[in-house]
Amino acid sequence: MYEEERLIEIQGMSKSFGETEVLHNIDLYIRKREFVTLLGPSGCGKTTMLRLIGGFEMPTEGKILFGGRDITQVPPYRRKVNTVFQKYALFTHLNVFDNIAFGLKLRKVSKSEIEKRVMRMLRLVKMEGYEKRSVESLSGGQQQRIAIARALVNEPEVLLLDEPLGALDLKLRQEMQLELKSMQQELGITFLYVTHDQEEALTMSDTIVVMNGGRIQQIGDPKRIYDEPKNAFVADFIGQSNLLSGVMLEDELVMMAGKEFPCVDEGFEKNELVDVVVRPEDIMVVGADVGMLVGTVESVLFKGVHYEMIVSTGENRWKVHSTTMQPAGTRVGLSIVPFNIHIMRRESSGGVQEVEPQ
Amino acid sequence: MKRHWYATPYALWMTLFTIVPLLFVVYFAFTTKSGEWTVANFGKFFKASNLPVVADSFRLAFLCTLICLLIGYPAAYFLSARNFPLGRALVVLFLLPMWMNFLLRTYAMMTLLEKNGVINTVLDALGLPPQNLIGTEAAVLLGMVYNFLPFMILPIYTVLKKLDLRVIEAAEDLGAPPSKVFSRVVVPLSVPGVVSGITMVFMPAVTTFAISRMLGSGMIYLIGDTIEDYYINFNNRNVGSALSLVLMVLIVISIGLLRMADPKGEGGALW
Repeated sequence: MYEEERLIEIQGMSKSFGETEVLHNIDLYIRKREFVTLLGPSGCGKTTMLRLIGGFEMPTEGKILFGGRDITQVPPYRRKVNTVFQKYALFTHLNVFDNIAFGLKLRKVSKSEIEKRVMRMLRLVKMEGYEKRSVESLSGGQQQRIAIARALVNEPEVLLLDEPLGALDLKLRQEMQLELKSMQQELGITFLYVTHDQEEALTMSDTIVVMNGGRIQQIGDPKRIYDEPKNAFVADFIGQSNLLSGVMLEDELVMMAGKEFPCVDEGFEKNELVDVVVRPEDIMVVGADVGMLVGTVESVLFKGVHYEMIVSTGENRWKVHSTTMQPAGTRVGLSIVPFNIHIMRRESSGGVQEVEPQ
Repeated sequence: MKRHWYATPYALWMTLFTIVPLLFVVYFAFTTKSGEWTVANFGKFFKASNLPVVADSFRLAFLCTLICLLIGYPAAYFLSARNFPLGRALVVLFLLPMWMNFLLRTYAMMTLLEKNGVINTVLDALGLPPQNLIGTEAAVLLGMVYNFLPFMILPIYTVLKKLDLRVIEAAEDLGAPPSKVFSRVVVPLSVPGVVSGITMVFMPAVTTFAISRMLGSGMIYLIGDTIEDYYINFNNRNVGSALSLVLMVLIVISIGLLRMADPKGEGGALW
């Protein structure tokens, strides 16, 4: 049903640098007006993917379609995409106005039109009055805004953003996240955003593409990715989690940490080995006499909104988030409701490592 | 011990060999042979026979700088290209002449250009008529370019090598084909290197005297030669000093004008 809305389509794309394969057989499509985030640890191939779409790299195999047309061989300056680079890459020999006007001047837009559009962009990124300033005199956050304005002023069909907020401090980053999202909605432009920050991805995206080792691990909206990670990697990478190996005894009953737990998953084989994810905020701390598990608090960290505790139950150690503090050494009970136990099929590529809270 | 004390050896050196001699030059320039104050020495600069020499010096220095820029910029550009094979080896080749004393280099040039020199010998062997090479303005210009070219290439190469590849990609991304990337991004960003290169070529070129003497065979007479003559042959260091001062002021003015193109001094030049 979305067929005609597909703006970018990547088909069977692989990319190698010499002997090293950084992307393996990628299939992905991006819809018009969608905010898509490529999320993964450094070295997972997300930036390479962005550079392939921007035209700065050529795929080793496969092709890239843009509005149904093959653009694999089209050079960057003829693609209707614009990029916001990681370290901004502003032109230091030009002032703020000329940086933003760079693309328009190349396209021979009239002087008055350039003036109008640059000023509109400066308003959009809240940098009015800075047009005559040298870009080197700006702060990191301001340079970032100019980089965004410089790309957006060309009204690209797709804006590629390569970890654009990576160099900013936390508060500014959170502000910019909201601003980027509202700009995207206001302008109706497709955003393809690269980050390793899962929180950023969850906040901004319509669709998250989780990548690892040059392969796509899971594609889905933030809620789905968070609540139903497809494999151990995704579960571990998105949010904090307790990751255990378990055995599916029967439908809706899993054995883990030496105990049986009712859950909501079905369709597994009897006694199938599975990976189990339990989010720290989904574990309830209860009295030692009533818990499904009983353990000892090993350590407590104050995290602002909640306390983060490590609770040891013999062989397993659980990361637990709670708004009430239990001092280290206390015996506590732990309870998990069936709905919050997420069962994942084992990847053929290997199981889960021991639970090791960070 | 404060860190600025570490500069003491250099400060001594500079006082002894730069500041004191300069003061001498100023003193001589404003005095007569017998030590009386005067400004008459400066009049000699504007003597009818000296003005064409000054004009020739600046014209040759200008031509030399221009040729060095025309050869040096493309050379530096290709040498700095990321994927250029043998890039490093070629840089060394370009700089190799700098490892040798410049008088030696100029002597080598002489043996090439002489009446019975290498070039004419080769021409003769090929049955071609001998050429009158040495003693021409072209020979002097050739010697100057040969000697000063590395000083043009090096600063431009350094600036281009430091150029952020992402800035070039950003320009492409914004719709600039390769020719526009070059004219709107690469060239403006390399201005500091160009300014530095021009400074480092123009200054020694305008004051050169050995090259014009050796390759000009006495036919090409530059302001540097004039000053040398006043000091050594005419035994008149007062006029020589006055000419030196005027030349210095002219150079400072030229460089000052050039500096306006690179107000931040990013080229790491001498000023």
